[in-house]
Amino acid sequence: MKKANLVSGFRSGLVFGIVLVFLFLIGFLETGAGLLSKFFGDPVPTNTLPKLGYVILFLALMAIWSGSGSSKKINPDRFSELVLPVLVNGGVLGLMTALMALIFGNYVKAGVDVRNYLVAVSPASIKMLMLNLTEPVQAALALFALMTVATFLGALLHFVWNRHLSEKVKRTVSSKIESVGQSKMMSLTSHPAARYIALAGALALFFFLPRMWGSYWNYVLGTVGIYILLGIGLNLITGWTGQLVIGYVSFFGIGAYTFSLLTAPEPHAIMMNFWLALLIAVAVSALVGFLIGLPILNLRGDYLAIVTLGFAEIVRILLKSDLLTSFTGGPRGIRDIGGPTLFGADFSSDVNFIYLIFVMVILIAFVANRLQRSRTGRAWEAIREDQTVAKATGINTFSSKLLALTLSAAVAGLAGVLFASRNQFTGPEDHILLVSINVICLMIVGGVGNIPGIIIGALALKGLPELLREVSNFRMLTFGALLVMMMLIRPDGFLPARRPRMKRPMVEDPQEKAEEGA
Amino acid sequence: MKKLNKKALRVLLVIGKYARWTVGIALALFLTWRIYQVLFVQQAFTADTWLRFALSGLILGGMYALIAIGYTLVYGIMFMINFAHGEVMMIGAFCCYFVFEALRFIPAPIAGNPDLVFLNAYPILSILIAFLVGMTVSGFSGYFLEKIAYRPLRHAPRLILLITAIGASIFLQNAAMLLFGPQRKNIVNPDILTRTAGWTIQVAGKPVLISYTGAFSLILSALLMIGLYFLVQKTKLGRSMRAVAQDQDSAALMGVDVNKVVSQTFIISGILAGASGVMWGIHMGLVNHITGSLPGIKAFTAAVLGGVGNIPGAMLGGITLGVIESMGPALFGIDFQLKDVIAFLTLIIVLIIRPSGILGEKLTEEKL
Repeated sequence: MKKANLVSGFRSGLVFGIVLVFLFLIGFLETGAGLLSKFFGDPVPTNTLPKLGYVILFLALMAIWSGSGSSKKINPDRFSELVLPVLVNGGVLGLMTALMALIFGNYVKAGVDVRNYLVAVSPASIKMLMLNLTEPVQAALALFALMTVATFLGALLHFVWNRHLSEKVKRTVSSKIESVGQSKMMSLTSHPAARYIALAGALALFFFLPRMWGSYWNYVLGTVGIYILLGIGLNLITGWTGQLVIGYVSFFGIGAYTFSLLTAPEPHAIMMNFWLALLIAVAVSALVGFLIGLPILNLRGDYLAIVTLGFAEIVRILLKSDLLTSFTGGPRGIRDIGGPTLFGADFSSDVNFIYLIFVMVILIAFVANRLQRSRTGRAWEAIREDQTVAKATGINTFSSKLLALTLSAAVAGLAGVLFASRNQFTGPEDHILLVSINVICLMIVGGVGNIPGIIIGALALKGLPELLREVSNFRMLTFGALLVMMMLIRPDGFLPARRPRMKRPMVEDPQEKAEEGA
Repeated sequence: MKKLNKKALRVLLVIGKYARWTVGIALALFLTWRIYQVLFVQQAFTADTWLRFALSGLILGGMYALIAIGYTLVYGIMFMINFAHGEVMMIGAFCCYFVFEALRFIPAPIAGNPDLVFLNAYPILSILIAFLVGMTVSGFSGYFLEKIAYRPLRHAPRLILLITAIGASIFLQNAAMLLFGPQRKNIVNPDILTRTAGWTIQVAGKPVLISYTGAFSLILSALLMIGLYFLVQKTKLGRSMRAVAQDQDSAALMGVDVNKVVSQTFIISGILAGASGVMWGIHMGLVNHITGSLPGIKAFTAAVLGGVGNIPGAMLGGITLGVIESMGPALFGIDFQLKDVIAFLTLIIVLIIRPSGILGEKLTEEKL
């Protein structure tokens, strides 16, 4: 038993040590300390390193996390059982950090610039790791002591919390919540009038906010809206029907390009009306989705993923190539794409555009919501759950999947139209595979198969990075890690989809009645 | 309305039934016409150029085949597309870069040449070290990938596994970018394997260079494939791998440790991808974080082309795809920018005409 504890302490130290080394090598130590510094109201100016205290705090927080983790895992009755494993944990973690400081410190001392091989490890950041000490040995000892003590502290904190405080706190919090008058609140929010008032408030907010907060936020919110549309569209085929489409951006690109070619003065000078071009672009995207699905959808499920991936690459390469330059504008893209009009008047200011996007999002969300509860939507979910059973209950799986793909391609086309028209420019680089990966991510983060989840996901993935500009370098890395972690820990997302509750049919089942009688 | 729908559906299905044949025949006719045009009417390229295209296609195809085997092995056992497999290959290529860089800094002076470095003093040993390091690290990455990301999800729906694989692929790619920087790195080979050196043969009165690196990669990939074939067919490990691919539950009942076999499969596929990454580094000479993604996708295409779950199929598919990709643009008379388009179009066309691949699938269960 004791050996197992030691092993788990060792493992915790090793894992956190590797993570810490990795974070330092990609340059996150600096960013993390900077974020802490910003959190405490002391933002770091660009091109300067955060203060020493925040670096120590960041390292200590990692160690505390590690220590509390191993305390949680061992979960002993007495603290004395915890001492040795936690010392092992802190020792391993401290040793790895110290070793790293020793190695890089000696490199700096010898005047070797490791940035040729590890781009993020600048001499300044090594100095920061060495806690501004000059001698590598001193720095290593200091780091070792810091990490060991902090790990011990973490374990102690967790032990005390777990033993003595957590019950008490939980009891107080829950009693407080009860005393607030849960029942009163519930009855207030569930009253129909309250819902209408909330709806009216939200509508008023939607109407007035875009006029107030300036064009930058309108731009960000517009992007979020377009991604919500993409998320809802992808959700039709991936979330509800369970068929992964990786190259979803191809439909987005086709919608954007069709619309642009129809409305831009170059290269074709058709200059069509906005709404007509929108309809045509959506129809073309839907048609492409249909044609892609026709040969693929009755094959194994993964093939759709890989074929759409290949198709997205084909579309992007073709748009970029010299072959189609005279037709699609080539790598330069298309400029001066037409904006929307409303009864002949121009409707393309940024405030108007955000209204348009809001209306489209609400419209598509409404349609998708209705679809989910319809016969078609239930057929899709049946296919997702078990294709064979769905077939056996009389669902034509092929045509259902085809319908889902066509509709989702149409929604992507609509999003592409809005995107191209708002930016008044579109080029091959707007339609790289990253867009579809972003959409998959936001759908998963929010909760697969759930429209409010998608909205939350789009806000989190497209809106938050605007707030946290420091971490923009690490965004894709975090996406990747987040995807894996979400799948491992919470495969349903932050807002898991609830099945729409159906009313039981009023007609009683005769067989059931007969059984009851017997 | 409903009747109309059904009728329309039936018409669609009939069209679908004949579409396969129609598309196939039309395509074959078009290809013959095109090849006739290019080879005999236009004569834009002479025999030596064709030989050059074919050679580079074969070399590329050998690497694709090695990666494709990894996809096929994993797909046969777990029914998942291991999207991170291309990134494992990228790790192999980076290992090659770092080993060569490290050995370039180790002096090994001999009499008469005091500036000699280890890389040039012991070139064969250096290449061996590069392969050993690359294959070991990639094998370990395959192992940890399975252990951390895929094993907890063994019985989860396949969509979740697929998304996890995509997440792992994005993570590895961006980790490599943040660690080593986004710019491409030049791999300096030992002097005996300079990329411009090779045998020259005369074809149609013009010299054609068969580079040493190319010949080396082709021979090595052939050897590795033969080795793998024996491993799968003759050894106990191979037998248990085939058993698990056929039926996990029955294999477990017969005393096969399924978890261990899955781990070993990931290690083997990682080793092969690592070897192909080192070869890529030696032959192509450039590596960065996206080195693995396009070859990865194409190798999966190759696996589908040959028939998923079928190891000889993956080899054949890899070679075929490499040759199509390098000869295709010239053969169809289109721009060389579009060679990737040809590779992906091949995939789509194969799936339309013969979804089970050239040599047929070897998957026991129809898992949709």
